[in-house]
Amino acid sequence: MVNITINGKVVRATEGEMLLDVIRREGINIPTLCQHDALEPAGNCRLCMVEITRTEWDGWKKYVTSCLYPVEEGLIVSTHTSELHEIRKTILDLLLANSPHSDVLQKMAEEYGLHKTSYEPNLEGDNCIMCYACTRICEVLGKSAISPVMRGHEKVIAPPFGEEPPDCIGCLACAHICPTNVITWTDENLTRTIWKKKFELIACEKCGKATISRDFAEYLIEKRGLPKEYFNTCDDCKRVELAQKMGALVDKAKEVAL
Amino acid sequence: MTQTDMTKLDKIFNNNPQSPGSLITVLQDIQREFRYLPREALEKTAEILNVPLSKVYSASTFYAVFSLKPRGEKIVRVCKGTACHIKGADIILEQLESGLGIKAGETTKDLKYTIELVNCVGACALAPVMLVNEKYYGNVRCDRVMKLVEKD
Repeated sequence: MVNITINGKVVRATEGEMLLDVIRREGINIPTLCQHDALEPAGNCRLCMVEITRTEWDGWKKYVTSCLYPVEEGLIVSTHTSELHEIRKTILDLLLANSPHSDVLQKMAEEYGLHKTSYEPNLEGDNCIMCYACTRICEVLGKSAISPVMRGHEKVIAPPFGEEPPDCIGCLACAHICPTNVITWTDENLTRTIWKKKFELIACEKCGKATISRDFAEYLIEKRGLPKEYFNTCDDCKRVELAQKMGALVDKAKEVAL
Repeated sequence: MTQTDMTKLDKIFNNNPQSPGSLITVLQDIQREFRYLPREALEKTAEILNVPLSKVYSASTFYAVFSLKPRGEKIVRVCKGTACHIKGADIILEQLESGLGIKAGETTKDLKYTIELVNCVGACALAPVMLVNEKYYGNVRCDRVMKLVEKD
């Protein structure tokens, strides 16, 4: 265990733990876009920047991305100075310049007193902030169906050759993790379309509701060793089934007790 | 891809360790052999090196040296660095484009020539600079451009 100081308060933390996790555990709110508990920290959005110093640094301080900074004994951290406010405001300003239509960014910028970007807005820009959350989660899931393509201002997140990604299983992880909701998909009847690729959705045996894509189910069955029948019913029907089973058990227990 | 192309490809794979770490060297070898990265070669690379296709494609599009389109036997590179720009790189490019009938970044239909622009080749004292494949030409005069390109 190590002792660090956050905004004047001494806090105990496990060595090697990332600063952001400790700060958040203390109930301090720091905005982030690219951070997700299912992902390794990447420091792509830069919003979690904090100020650090040590007593022996003699007044010298530096700014680090807290999601990537492992805690160490004697660290003195400030999370909400006026400089940090300006840093975060500038980052949001730049992000907003590139994605002026993003309601998520607009809302975050509002909190920093920014009603619109002070830079020339890229009106044709989409809402992607290149945080790579989508490509990282796809990799975590063992698929890596999408990736950054090209470089610099031409860079986009796309499947290989701009075609239907052969490795995609239609799990929607990329769309759900996207902090600015850029990745879109449609579910129509029992067909899901994402990245221009079509997937068959499994209909629940009991209620007929569409559940997950067949490709995703097969992947989970194979990878996680789940029973084949697991995805035949939807979560709601599974819950009802479980409740009934539990109810029957309770009845039985009562009978036995009597 | 023809059978001979496949043999060439197999040779490249055999010359490199077949692991994800070889990705860039394999891509370089393929580019050297075919002068561009054919799609089938990328798909094969992903399979052999055990790298997701998306990552192979990502690396292929990231580096400026890689091309996904077939390129000519002679790749003519015009330096567009500051010194060359001042010394008239634009005029050299104009000469090339009208002489070969293609724009920068394009390849002639007979796959003989490709024009590319480079940001700087580091030979600013020789500005304006033009390269034909690996050969450097300095102090290029606009009336000599086509002669240099057609040489040997």
